[in-house]
This record gives sequence, structure tokens and C-alpha cells, in this order.
Amino acid sequence: MTTRRAQWARSLPVSWTEVVVYLLLLALAALGLGVAIVRFMRGLGATTNLSNAYPWGIWITFDVFIVPFSAGAFTLAAVVYILNDERYHVLVPPVVLAGLLGYIMVCAVLLADLGLPHRFYNIIAFLNPESFMFEISWCVMLYTVVLVLEFSPVVLESLGWEGPHRLVRSFTVVFVSAGIILSSLHQSSLGSMWLLLQDKLHALWWTPLLPLLFLLTAIAGGLCMAILVSMLLPRAFGRPVRTHLLANLGRAVAGFLAVYGVLKLLDLLIAGELGLLFTGSTLSFLFWAELLIGVAGPVAILSQSRLRETNRGLLAGASLATLGLALNRANISMFAIWRPRGTVYIPHWMEVAILVGAVAAAVLVLALAARLLPTMLGPTEEEAA
Amino acid sequence: MSKAMLIDTTRCTACRGCQVACKQWNDLPAEKTRNLGSYQNPYRLSAYTWTIVQMREVEYEGRLFWSFLKRQCMHCLHPACVSACPVGAMHKLPDGPVLYNDARCIGCRYCMTACPFRIPRFEWDKPVGYIRKCHFCFDRLAEGLMPACVKTCPAGALQFGEREEMIALAEQRLKAQPERYIQHVYGKEEGGGTSVLILSAVPFAYLGLPTLADHPVPSEQELAMPFEYLGVPSLGREPVAKLNDDLARYGTPGIAIGVAAILAGLQWYSKRRGTGQHTGDAAPAAKESGS
Repeated sequence: MTTRRAQWARSLPVSWTEVVVYLLLLALAALGLGVAIVRFMRGLGATTNLSNAYPWGIWITFDVFIVPFSAGAFTLAAVVYILNDERYHVLVPPVVLAGLLGYIMVCAVLLADLGLPHRFYNIIAFLNPESFMFEISWCVMLYTVVLVLEFSPVVLESLGWEGPHRLVRSFTVVFVSAGIILSSLHQSSLGSMWLLLQDKLHALWWTPLLPLLFLLTAIAGGLCMAILVSMLLPRAFGRPVRTHLLANLGRAVAGFLAVYGVLKLLDLLIAGELGLLFTGSTLSFLFWAELLIGVAGPVAILSQSRLRETNRGLLAGASLATLGLALNRANISMFAIWRPRGTVYIPHWMEVAILVGAVAAAVLVLALAARLLPTMLGPTEEEAA
Repeated sequence: MSKAMLIDTTRCTACRGCQVACKQWNDLPAEKTRNLGSYQNPYRLSAYTWTIVQMREVEYEGRLFWSFLKRQCMHCLHPACVSACPVGAMHKLPDGPVLYNDARCIGCRYCMTACPFRIPRFEWDKPVGYIRKCHFCFDRLAEGLMPACVKTCPAGALQFGEREEMIALAEQRLKAQPERYIQHVYGKEEGGGTSVLILSAVPFAYLGLPTLADHPVPSEQELAMPFEYLGVPSLGREPVAKLNDDLARYGTPGIAIGVAAILAGLQWYSKRRGTGQHTGDAAPAAKESGS
């Protein structure tokens, strides 16, 4: 008990800037929630700019980006609990919480996206095993539960609940393994989902390799999330950044991205579609942007130990790779799909407000957890010494 | 037995009786439309308009054609929407119709995204919307009647019967008047085959239909046309839905078992090597001091 009191006392004096940031995030989250209520009352047509030409919009793009970005939780868990590399243990709590919040955001946004949200449980009642959407929704639901279990020790320990804490700990390897299997399944299925669009998705992106490419970019993007969270969160609370550990993750990012880039270009070469890179169309430009920002740039930075051993180099590499991942998912889910000529889609402000609200809520919870849960950011330097 | 509809665009007079018959039989409301410089009206399919006669002025081999194509659900033999639907709301009946089950739908709209013909529509104007599209008058078919649109067509542009018979009829027409038609029955093989077959005097790509991968796509002409899609995608002879289904059926358990095996192997290996005993805890291993 004294430990917890001490932690609380340490977490107090909070600066005014911090309070203002929390209030701002709270206001954005509240606005998002309010807009979500309007959306559920008035329907998709009245609150979004989705249409028959654009049945999916910015919400789906957000989902197919946030899911691989949240893959940091499963990749880091694999390093710590499967490869048994203890050094990375200290990075786990914030990254697992960030992953969990990512999945909760996706579930919430998906619920807003459903035309019949009150029927969401049909996904459990009626099964079509040939649908990748079915597989994704099941895996996302189950994996969200796994993430709750993976994060629960941090909370249980802070609450001093010894019994449940021991129980969860004794099953850690079991649910971490389940989480890795579920992640491999739905991260790849998120790519398989676009296979049916062979006739609508531009040939620069459509390939039977989509599931493999999505899994590779999810591992790289997830590791970037682990790097970014492990760097920005401690820094915000004046705690040390474990640059050396993160540099190793950065090297892995470079490796996975390099494999992805080679596969992607080989695939285009074998399909005889390399010429599409030089058509000068908007889409070929977007593809180049994706490849340069998301693959070439980060690989160039993170493959050099001189650069990745610095916070600045790591931050640049991980940020570029994340941006590239977002662009890749946006291209596939939005820009590279054929549309009837003359139709446009610019997101409605309410669509954006719901996303902003979700992100604000997630950042707020992450910050408060780092502030309030004693074991979130690991021991301080004096404590560890 | 699988039924099919044959659309002979060269016989169509664009009277749009089929549009009216469809609305009457299915109790669909009228829509407020705008004049967009074409007789095509309503301009696009919607949740309340399940079929339209698409009108295009097409220049082909130095001649001007005013082509009329009845657009509607193609009722694919292996539909992408059926493979896509996570809750099995989309399903195909043995005699042809691809149907939608209101009671199962959750409104994810993956069917709209997946359909190569861009057919399913959503009721955007309602607080709680459903998917709507042509259902091949399955209710009439069950009574031994033909679809309302076929029944009403005065020009003989629409025929209905067994799919085999319709293909035979189409090929007979191609042979009898070779100068009248492009020598191809659209839908016989496209996307693994459809229950709607089309004959045309101009290349099918000019009509905005996804063509077979091995049929040339006249792209420059295509982009010059007023109502065009951004391009004309191409279908294969094998339905892509088959790739999807095989991957889902065998890939999913394959990945699950494969990853589980790798995990077990890694566990065994790292235990044997005796590397770090993990604490089985998401909290950092280092114990907090200050207690």
C-alpha cells in the first residue's frame, strides 16, 4: 500500500500545461461521442458523405491503418514471451496498452460504420467462413480480449489484487501465443479482403500476394508503433528513453520493409506490370510516394546503426514508415479503387470528428495510464540503479 | 435448373418499360431526378431503382451507335457478394437469383465494395439502411413466371429461360446475323459466368462492362466518353471469388496451424537454450523499489 501511495504522490504535482492538454483531449473525445450519437440517430446518409460510389470512406481507411499500426503489441509480445528476450520486457506495458486502445478505437469506429449497428451481434450468430470480413471481425474481437488479458497484470498489480494477478501471469504464454496466431490471421486477412476487388483495384496494388504483403507491413508498422510509443510517452513524462533497445527494433523494421519492398517489386516484375510505374498517372505517383516514403526512406535511415542509435534517427525512420503504411492502406482502401466518373468523396466533418474523438480518447487514456499506473513506464533511472 | 436472361442490346428501343415494370412489381417509389443531358433516367441505379437502361453514344468502326444496355444485377454463378458477406446475408438460389436476406445483414457494405459490376446499393436516406438490388423476381420465378422486366419488354430485347437455352439462342443469333453483333456472348464466361447474358453491336468495354482479361480494352475511346468509369477493368474466366473461397477455406486453418507450430518450435528452442526465464508478466521484470 505504501508503494502505491508513494507512486501516487510521485505522479502528483501535475503542471498546468498537462492539465490543459488533458482537458483539450477530453473536449475532443466528448465532441466525437456527441457526433457519434447524432450519427446513430440520423443514419449514415445524413452524417457522412458516403455514397453508392464510395460505400467505404475514411473510417475504413482509418481501420485498415490502425490495425497494422497496433500490431506493435503482438510483435513485441512475440519478442519477449516467445523469443524470451527479457531486455524488451520493460517496453511491453505502454505498447500493449496502445495496441489495446487501437483495437478498441477500431471496434468503436466499425460500429459507427455499420448500416445496422444494433445488429452487430449477427457477426456471432451467422457465420460465413468464406468471408474474410467474417474472419477479421472474429479475430479482432478475440484479440481485443487477449490484449485486455495481456495488459491486466499492470492494472491488477497497481490495485494490489494478488490472486487474479498470479492467475493471469500463469497463463501469459498461452494467451500471448493465441494473440500471435489471431494477429497473423487477421493482419493477413485484411489484405485478403481486397482480393475480391481484382477488377476494381488498380494493378499496382492488386496481387494474390496481398495477404503476405499486409502481414509484412503490419509487422514493420507495428514495430514502428512500439518505437514511437516507447519514445514519445517516456519523453512526455520526463522518463528515460531506451534508445539502444529501440534501435534493435528499428533494425528489424528495416529488415521487414526491405523484404516487403523486394517482394512488391518482384511481384510487379513477374506480373509484367512494372511499366505501370512510369505512366505518369496520379496513381503511379501515389505508388511512388508510398514506396519512397514508406520503404526506401525508412530502410535508408534504419539500416545504418549510426542513424538508428539516435533518438532523432529512430523518430524519423519510424515516422516515415508509419506515414508510408498509412498511405499504402489509403491507396488500397480509397484512391486505387475504380469509381464511376464524376463521383467524388470528401469526408463529412462528422466523419472526421468521430475519428478525432476516438484518437483523442485513446491518447488521453494512454497518458493517464502512464501517469497513474506505477509500472507503466518501468523504473526510473535512480530506482533501477 | 439454372435460369438466365438474355439481353440483346441491338433490339432494345430504350422504351424503359422494364424500368417501370420493375418498380411496379417491387413497389419501388419514384425518384426525383435531374436532367444531365441524356435520356438515361434515373441516371444511376439506387436502392429504389434496381434496373436502368443505360444510353451511350458510341463511335465504332466509323459508325455512330446509340447503344442501350439494361443494367441490373448480373446474378453471377459464383458471386463475389456471396463470398464477401460476413453473415451470409447474400446467397444464390439454385435456379439463378442472388438474394439478400434483410434479417441477417449488419450493413458493412462489403458486398458493394466487392461486386465487380457495382450493383448493390444502400438505403443512404434512412437512419437504418439496408442493401437493395435486383432479385431476379425470385418470387415470380417460384410461381413459374418470368421476371417482370422480361414479361413487359415489347421489343423482344429480353428473353428468359434455361441458361443453356439462352446461350444457344444467343449463339444462334450471332451466327444468323454476324454483321449485326460483336461475336461474343457476354456473361457466358466473364467472372466465371453470369445468369444475365448480353449481346452487343459494339465492344462490351464501350458499354462500361468489365471485359475478359484477354479481350482488348479500347482505353483512349473509353476515357473520352461522358458517362465513363475511370477505366474498364477486366474479369477473368475463373471467378476471383473462387480464389477468395479457397484461400479462406484452406489458408485460414493453414496459417493458424503453421503459426502455432512455429511458436511451439521457438518455445522449445529457447527453453533448450535456457535463455532468460521470463516472468510471465506484462509488467517490467525489474521490481519497483521505494517500498
